[in-house]
Amino acid sequence: MAYRTSKRIQRVPSHELDISAPRSMRRAGTGTKLLLTAFSAALIYLAYVLVSQSAAYMTKSGKTTYGKVLDRKGDVLFDGTQPLSNYPWGQFADVGNFIGDTSGQMTNTIVARNSSLLANYSFSYGNDGTTVLETSLSHAANRAVYNAFGSKNGTAIAYNWQTGELLVCVSKPCVDITKGYADIDTMPSGSLLCKAFYPTVPGSTQKVSTLLAAYQYAGAETINALEYNCTGEWTNATGDVIKCHQSYGHGNQNLVTAFANSCNPYFAQLVQSDIVPLNDIINAYARMGYSVNDSPAESLEMNGIVIPPASTVLRDSHQFETQWGALGQGRTLVSPYQLMLWQGAIANGTGCAVQPGLLTAVTKSGGTKHSLQSHKLTDQMFSSAAAQSIQKVMTQNVQYNYGALQPYNCGVKSGTAQVNDNGRQYENSLLTGFSLDEQCPVAFCIMIEERESWDVSTGQIASVLLSTLKENL
Amino acid sequence: MAKSSVKPISHPFLLLLVLIAHTAMMVLVVLSFGVDAEVIKLAAAVLSADLVGSVILQIIHREACTVDTVLLLITGMSTIYQSCFGGLEFDVKHFAFCMASFVMCQISYAVTRNPYRAEKLKPLWYTLFFILVFCILFLTGSRGIWIDLGFITIQPSEFVKPVFVLICASSIHTQLKKSEIAGFHFVPDNLMLLLCTVVIAGLQWWCRDLGSLPTFIAAAGCAMLLRFCYLREKVSLRLIVFLAACGVGVAIFAWKLAPGYVQERLHSDIWADMSSTGYQQVKALTAIAEGGWFGKGVGNGTLIHVAAARTDIVFSTICEEWGLFTGMMTVVLVLFLPGAILTVPPRSYYHSGLALGVAAVFIVQMALNIFGSCNLIPFTGVTIPFISQGGSSMLASGILAGFLKAAQAPVLTDRQTQKGGK
Amino acid sequence: MEVDLSPLFEQYPLLREAATAFAVIFVNFCALVILIAAARERRRGDHRWIKEGKGYMLSCGSECYTLGAAEILIGRHPCADIRFDDKEISRFHALLTLSNGKWHIEDIGAHNGVIVNGVRIQQRCRLHQNDVITIGKRHLTVIKGVI
Repeated sequence: MAYRTSKRIQRVPSHELDISAPRSMRRAGTGTKLLLTAFSAALIYLAYVLVSQSAAYMTKSGKTTYGKVLDRKGDVLFDGTQPLSNYPWGQFADVGNFIGDTSGQMTNTIVARNSSLLANYSFSYGNDGTTVLETSLSHAANRAVYNAFGSKNGTAIAYNWQTGELLVCVSKPCVDITKGYADIDTMPSGSLLCKAFYPTVPGSTQKVSTLLAAYQYAGAETINALEYNCTGEWTNATGDVIKCHQSYGHGNQNLVTAFANSCNPYFAQLVQSDIVPLNDIINAYARMGYSVNDSPAESLEMNGIVIPPASTVLRDSHQFETQWGALGQGRTLVSPYQLMLWQGAIANGTGCAVQPGLLTAVTKSGGTKHSLQSHKLTDQMFSSAAAQSIQKVMTQNVQYNYGALQPYNCGVKSGTAQVNDNGRQYENSLLTGFSLDEQCPVAFCIMIEERESWDVSTGQIASVLLSTLKENL
Repeated sequence: MAKSSVKPISHPFLLLLVLIAHTAMMVLVVLSFGVDAEVIKLAAAVLSADLVGSVILQIIHREACTVDTVLLLITGMSTIYQSCFGGLEFDVKHFAFCMASFVMCQISYAVTRNPYRAEKLKPLWYTLFFILVFCILFLTGSRGIWIDLGFITIQPSEFVKPVFVLICASSIHTQLKKSEIAGFHFVPDNLMLLLCTVVIAGLQWWCRDLGSLPTFIAAAGCAMLLRFCYLREKVSLRLIVFLAACGVGVAIFAWKLAPGYVQERLHSDIWADMSSTGYQQVKALTAIAEGGWFGKGVGNGTLIHVAAARTDIVFSTICEEWGLFTGMMTVVLVLFLPGAILTVPPRSYYHSGLALGVAAVFIVQMALNIFGSCNLIPFTGVTIPFISQGGSSMLASGILAGFLKAAQAPVLTDRQTQKGGK
Repeated sequence: MEVDLSPLFEQYPLLREAATAFAVIFVNFCALVILIAAARERRRGDHRWIKEGKGYMLSCGSECYTLGAAEILIGRHPCADIRFDDKEISRFHALLTLSNGKWHIEDIGAHNGVIVNGVRIQQRCRLHQNDVITIGKRHLTVIKGVI
C-alpha cells in the first residue's frame, strides 16, 4: 500500500511526500507512548509479582490446604488432605513434634517451616490436593527407637553421614497430633518441641570436643602419650575438687583408657596442664560452632528448622568452672543435633560434615517433581588429622565397653550430664557416635533423661537404632 | 482528488467481530449458568447494543472507527462482567450507563471535533469548571464527594475531569497572546490553568478524595509539558533541575501536611492488618491467586461480597472469575483508547493537547486502581474507565473518549464561516 | 424456557476450559483486527488529510515543506514546524492555518512582516496555488503536491 502511495505522488519528483503530522504535533503521541510504556511495564511487573507471590498470599490468608509428608518408603508422616483424626492413634506418635502439623501450635517443625512448599497450590494448576513432600526419614526405625525408650523420656537423632539423609529423629514425650490439642494443659512438658534441636548439658560427650581441640593444637602423638593418675578425685590449682565417677580411681591411664573410662580427673589435668593453651581450646570450640564466653555464633539450620548454637564458658584453665565446662558440665550446652553433626565429620574423617537434610523431593500441584536434596558440606570444623585420630579412640572405646555395638563397626562416646533444672537435680545419659558399617553409615546422638541404673541404656537404644536402620535402608 | 487507494477494514465487519467476541463470551456464560430469563436478557441487551451501535455509527460517520469499536467492545464486556459477578443478574443500571457513555462519546465528539470552536468555547469550560467546583464545595455533604439527589447520586468530581482536560489543552494561538502586568509577561491561558490546578488540587485535598488528585496533577503536568515545548527555546538543564526541585519540595510539603489517615495508608502493611485496613487488598490479592490464569469460573467468585468489589477492586474481581489472563487482556483493551492517537495522529494543537490529557487521566486512573488494589502503591478509591461500576465515572469516561475520537477525525471548518474569511 | 446446563461441566471437565479459551481467543482476535484496522486507518487518515489540505505544499528552492497539520508555525524557534535559522526571521514569524479546506497565513508578530505576492499582509490572508510568501530573504511558493 505504501508503495502505491509513493507512486501516486510522482508528480513531486524532488521530494518524497510526507504528510504525517509535524514534529510539534507528534509530541502528544510521544507523551502517550511514554505513559503507555510505563503503564505496560508496571503491568508486566504486576503480573510477575502476582504469579510469584500467589502461594504466599494463599498461605498468609489461610486459604490453602496442605499435602502429605511421606517417609523414605512412602509411609505417611503428615497428611493435610484429610483430618488427622482419620488416622489411627499413634500413627504419628513418634514424629509429632518433629514433622509437626499445620495447627500453629508448634513453630519449629518441618511442616511449619516449609508450609509454602507443602501448600497445595500453584498459580497455573490451582489446588488439586496433590502436593507430596518426600523425606528421608525411616518411619519404621523411628518407631522402633521411640518404643525402645520404654517409659523413659529423651531424644535420638541419626543421619547418614555419607549422603546427609536424616533417618531418625525421636523426641519423647511427644504430642499425638491425631488427638488434637484439647488436652494441651495436661500434656507433659516438652511434648511440643523436638529436643534434638535444643541445647542440653552434654556431659562427657563434651570430651570429644576437648580432645579434638587438644589433637589439633598439640598433635596426636603428644596427646596419646600423656599419662595422668586418677585416685577417684583430684584437687586443682585453686583447691577445688573434681570427682571421678569411679570413687576408687582409675589409677595411671593413658588417653585411650581415660577416654574409655570417661575419667574426669584425667581430662581436668589435661586442661590445667596448659599443654594445650586455653586460648587454643577456645579457638577450636569456636570453629566447631560454639559460642564461647557469649561470643556470637551462628545458629544451625536444617530444612528451615532453627537450631541454637552450642555454648560454653571457658575463662581460666586453672579454675574449676572452666575445667568443669570442658568436661561437659556446668554451663556447657550442646544440642543433640550438633553432637551428631560432629560425629558425621569424625566418621568421614575430613572434619567437615555433609549437611543433614530431611526433605528429598517435592511434587507440586500439576505433577512436577523437584528434588530438594543438596549435597552441601559444612565449614571445616576441625582438622581431618584430628578427626581420624579421634575416630580410632572412639572405635577402641566400643571394643572396651560396647560389645553389642561391635558388629556395626562403631565408635561412640557416652556421657552423663548433671542437670540442675531449677533446683531439681538429675542425671541424663547420653551417647554419641557413628557407624562405619557400609550398609548403615550413620552418625547419631541419643539422650535418655533422668536415667537410673536399672533403666534402658543408651547403648541398648543405639543397638535398636542401628539394627532397624540396617534393615530399613 | 482520486479516491483513496487504501481500502479500510469496513466498519460493519469490525462490529461483526465485536458481536462475535461478545457471543463467545455469552457462550461461556450460558454454559456456566444454563439458559434462564437473566441470561436471555443479558444476551439480548449486549448483542442488540452492538447491532444498534453499528447502525448508528454507519449513519453518523464512518471515520476513525477505532475508538467507537473499542468502546462498544469494552462496554459489552464490562456489562457481561458486572452481570456475572458472584451469580448471574443482568445489571440493567450498568448497561444503561454503558449506553449513555457511548452516547456521551458521540456528543462530546460533536462538540469538540472542531478544535477552533472547542477552544473558542474555553470561557464556557472555565465557567463549567467553577460551577462544578462550587457544586463539590456546597452541594456535597460535609467533605463528601457525592451529591445525593435521592434517586441517584452524582459524583461531580468525575465530571470535573473532562472539563479539566478541555482547559488543559491549548493552541499555539492562545500561547502567543501575552499580557503584561507590572512588567511581568505572562500568558493568561497558562495562568488560568495554574489557577484551576491549584483550585482542584486544594479541593481534592479538602475533600480527602486523594485518589483523584494524582489524576488531575498528571493531566496538568502533561499540559504544562506540552506548553513548555511549544514556547521554550529549548528545555535547559537549569529549568529541569528547578522543576524537579519544585516537585520534590511540593511532595515533601504535601507529605508533612498529609492527614494522619493518608500517612497511615502509605506505610501500612496489609498482611499485618488483615481484618481492618488491609482487608480489601488482602481479599483482592487472595482472589487473584485463587483465580489463577483462567479463573475459578464465571459466577463462582467470592470477592463480590467484599466492599467496592465492583468499583475499586474490580480488576481482582474479574481476575478471580475470568482469570488473570482475561483481566490483563481487558486492561490492555482499555489502553487501546488512548493508544488510538498513535495510529491517526491529531492534526491540531488543541486536539493533541486533548488527546494527551485524556491519556494521562485514563492511564493514571487505571494505574491507581490496579496497582493500588494489588498493593504495589497505596490503595485509593478510583475507578477503571468503562469497567468499574459507577454512573458518573462512566459518563465522564465516555466524554473523554469523545475527545480522542475528535482528535482522530477533526472537522476544520467553522473559523472561516464565522470570520467570513478575507 | 429454563435449561440447566451445569451437569455439562461435570460430565466434560475440559468443556469449561474450552469455552473460556474460545471466548478469550475471539476477544483477542477482535482486538487484533482492531489493531490492523487502526493501522490501515492511519494511511487512510493521511489521504483524507491530503484531500482536506488540497495537497498544498511550500517550496523554497530545492526544499519542499509539506503541511501536515492544521496549524503550521514558521519561524526561527527550534519548535517551529518550518524552521529557518536566519536573523531576519522572527522566532515566531507566521502561522499557516487550515479551515474549511482553505489555507490562510497570518503574521504572528514578525518584525519584518509577512509578504504575500509582494504585499505585506495586515490580517489573515488566504493562500492560493502559486502564491509566493516572502519571509525575510526566503521565498516560499505554494504548490499543489498531489491531485
